[in-house]
Amino acid sequence: MQKLSRRKFLYCSAGLLSVACPAQAFWPFGEKESHASGPVDIRGRVFKNDAPQTLWKWSREGFHYKKIEGGKVVCGICPNRCILAPGDRSVCRSRVNMNGTLYSLAYGNPCSVNTDPIEKKPLYHFKPKSKTFSVATTGCNFRCLNCQNWEISQVKPHEIRHIELFPKNAVQAAQDAGGKSIAYTYSEPTTFFEYMLDTARLAREKGLANLWISNGYINKKPLVELCKVLDGANVNLKSFSDAIYRKLNGGRLQPVLNTFKTLHELKIHFEITNLVVPGYVDDPEMVKEMCRWILDNLGPDHPLHFLRFFPRYKLDRLPPTPVSALERFREIAMAEGIHYVYLGNVPNHKGNHTYCHQCGKLLIERQGYYIPTYNLDGNRCRFCNTIIPGVWQSKT
Amino acid sequence: MLVVLSTVQILAIRVLRDIFFIHGSSVGFYPTLAYTFFTIAPYTLLVGFVLPYSLFILRNDTPDYPGARIYIMDNLGDTGGGALFSFVLVYLVTPFWAILLANLPLIFATCLLFSRRSAVVFLAAGIAFSILLGGVLLERETLKPSVGELIYYSESRYGRVAVHRDAEQYTLLSDGVPLFSNQNVNMAEEAIHYPLSQLSRVQHILLISAEGGMMAEIEKYQPETVDYVELDPQISTVLFKFGLINKISGLNVIHQDGRAFLTESDKIYDAIIINLPEPTTFQINRFFTDRFFSLAKNHLAPHGVLSFSIQGFDNYLAEPQRQKLSSLYNTLMDYFEHILLLPGHNIFFICRSLPVEMDIPARLAQKKISTRYVGAFFYGNLTQERIEYLNEAVDPTTPKNSDDSPRLIRLMFSQWFAKFATSPVGFFAALSLLCLIYFVFITKEEFVLFSTGAMVMGSEIIIIFVFEIFFGYIYFQIGMIVTVFLAGLMPGAFLGDRFSGHGIRLIGITDSLLIVLMGALVPVIWYGGDRLPVTVYLAFGFGVSLLCGFQFPVALALRGGGNSAVTRTFSADLIGAAVGILFTSVVLIPWFGIIWAVAGLIALKIISLLVVSIRYAKIIPKKILIL
Repeated sequence: MQKLSRRKFLYCSAGLLSVACPAQAFWPFGEKESHASGPVDIRGRVFKNDAPQTLWKWSREGFHYKKIEGGKVVCGICPNRCILAPGDRSVCRSRVNMNGTLYSLAYGNPCSVNTDPIEKKPLYHFKPKSKTFSVATTGCNFRCLNCQNWEISQVKPHEIRHIELFPKNAVQAAQDAGGKSIAYTYSEPTTFFEYMLDTARLAREKGLANLWISNGYINKKPLVELCKVLDGANVNLKSFSDAIYRKLNGGRLQPVLNTFKTLHELKIHFEITNLVVPGYVDDPEMVKEMCRWILDNLGPDHPLHFLRFFPRYKLDRLPPTPVSALERFREIAMAEGIHYVYLGNVPNHKGNHTYCHQCGKLLIERQGYYIPTYNLDGNRCRFCNTIIPGVWQSKT
Repeated sequence: MLVVLSTVQILAIRVLRDIFFIHGSSVGFYPTLAYTFFTIAPYTLLVGFVLPYSLFILRNDTPDYPGARIYIMDNLGDTGGGALFSFVLVYLVTPFWAILLANLPLIFATCLLFSRRSAVVFLAAGIAFSILLGGVLLERETLKPSVGELIYYSESRYGRVAVHRDAEQYTLLSDGVPLFSNQNVNMAEEAIHYPLSQLSRVQHILLISAEGGMMAEIEKYQPETVDYVELDPQISTVLFKFGLINKISGLNVIHQDGRAFLTESDKIYDAIIINLPEPTTFQINRFFTDRFFSLAKNHLAPHGVLSFSIQGFDNYLAEPQRQKLSSLYNTLMDYFEHILLLPGHNIFFICRSLPVEMDIPARLAQKKISTRYVGAFFYGNLTQERIEYLNEAVDPTTPKNSDDSPRLIRLMFSQWFAKFATSPVGFFAALSLLCLIYFVFITKEEFVLFSTGAMVMGSEIIIIFVFEIFFGYIYFQIGMIVTVFLAGLMPGAFLGDRFSGHGIRLIGITDSLLIVLMGALVPVIWYGGDRLPVTVYLAFGFGVSLLCGFQFPVALALRGGGNSAVTRTFSADLIGAAVGILFTSVVLIPWFGIIWAVAGLIALKIISLLVVSIRYAKIIPKKILIL
């Protein structure tokens, strides 16, 4: 038998390995990586030649856009930065280029209007027990496979029933409903930016707070403008992985992180939600990484909500998140140093309550939307006088 | 190749899904169509190839070997295989075992046929058997979840039942779809407390299917009896085994179709709680129709309550969903004076002859019943304005849902297509166009076989559906229908072969008989219904398939019986069968109802008869045309 030289041995080994490594990727059994399946990016696309022939009553010229050559416009509201030729419709479905001018078709035509407990947003550190007047038009700049509001987020404005509620009427309706705030919510409020901003300005004049419940996919300039009239926000950090953002949500991670930084710099009260999707967003290492980023960039005081996933919309072949996974993540986040970590979609759990980060005593007990125990005095812990971050009811 | 592909295609269907589609997501119409086509096509193309090719081989030795005989043998195999699977294998083994056992005769036959080349053949047979065995060994591997572990798996005659464990959570899956887990307290509380809180006393409860935590909630009312009806014994076994539901005092577990049970029972209940998935199938739709609501009303005490839920919404009621609940509401209106719709992730229908109380937490407080979800979240999630919004959304003009015109299924289709922002119109337009092009190139005899194939499969679907409506979902008898529809083909083909010399006249006669048989089905359904014995429906199926089987050799003889003719007549029969099953189940019944589906099939056969008559008129005196 011919003796094998070292060089030949290395060549053969490398050759065999190069065959074996990719082959392993095709071995379908054993540990399955959810991230590895299906398309890697589900981001939306501009709808070519989809704009209506004429504008309808509920239209308004866009606030942040640039005109470029050939009658095209670049929408500047969100990081999608849709380039629209005349007659095109944006990724979010709400904005169109009509003869070289960008218009929003979602202005004064909400399709969903409700008065909700503020805890439902969820906002746990913003005027507990108060009611918030919630409005939404159609549209979203993401394509989340698990969207619970897909009936309004993934349709065009003319495709659904709506009511007429221009900013002035919206503020009046909020006051009539006894709301202390107006929440721009359900779908993606960034896509009805003009309607939201005009309503928010009027609301502030009337002493109502403005709440932005969003995926955080917005450019800095419009966000800074919004923050001038914004009182609180809940921004969804869908995962701490750009790959998962692209695969499950059709967005990117970095712009969302930028939004958190801007909100923090401008001292807007905000809370962070993270939906724990089994097989995707349930990696403890990713949670640790996310918490470290939050601590490094935003500090420990912004409440973090881990939400339990339930099968919804197109992501309906996954089981719900086990409660123990959420509990583990809460422990991880608190061990990392985040002061207020909550569990969502888990009724009657101690993870729904607020405990003072200083003395550890129960400050707010939440039984669903009931608050049987409230141990804050103004913004301070009734037991140790520590200031609790948030926007609280005036001292009683 | 056939043996290998039968295993490989099942492996491909299970494994490739997570490679081509995003794990955990459902898939729209066109991707499903493409995926199904490409995973199944190799096997089906080979099966389609083998049948005529076998005839060509046989004709190498025996040039006048009759084409009809191979059709008869094929039908014999179909019937035997169908019966073996429906009555034996499905009860005993898993899919890969079934494939292994069903393919053993093929391996054996191949070895016999090519015994002269023993070494190569035995090697090939050995490899094929190894692959079959490999499928069996990989059965559980292909079902393992990406998260957690597969701790229970069994194949029942109604589908695959699996339980996944992830940490402390057990999730029950049926046919790969998660049904519920042991930690979903919300659904259990809503489904039980919304109806039962309405009652001043709860003695007898009928629960049609159950999910995690329900018995614990029912127990809070201390009923005397709880009749829990579950069609699939495997499901209830698993529910108890993994503690998803508890055994409580007074519980009777009944393994029967819920509607069939109610039809046979004379018990009166205080509450009937239906806990079934969305009516996406005819079987489930039977629990949301006028006849069922009438049946339920007759089994309710005067103060009793009927409740069920359909998929809800968070903040906007989309149009197909609005139509669905309107159809249900309008159907219920004939039987219940008071109907309250409660919104949420599921929309609950609470139906009574007495007024329905909206303030559920207040009723629970009166009864001193504590809850984790309803008491804490009801007032925030089910505000007065949300309840009013829902109840005012009902459209009184929406047609009712009935057994023979399942409007809900049609709306479920619409909703499904809306979810994926797609439409089936393109597909059906393309299919119709292909059919029209096909009609241009086929002979009249082939068109007759095409229409007969479509009629047989269409009528089989109709009979299965009618049977379910009248007799409940009884697997054994459904299997019997399928077998009977195959069994008639063989004697029919045998007789047709004997009388094939009579040519086109027989085609006309059998076409006429098929029309008469289908026409007779209308009064049978309308007036006979469940008063007629099961054998009537089985006899109908046998008759239709007998005539279909009869036509094949006759048409083949008319075409000359050559190799090309055999291939084309086989194709016409199979293409017709495929088109018939698709159009009847997806278009005719959901959109037009059963009676119009029957009318559609009759119309197709009348066209076939006209085609035959035109040809007949050319070759025999006109006076005989009066057929």
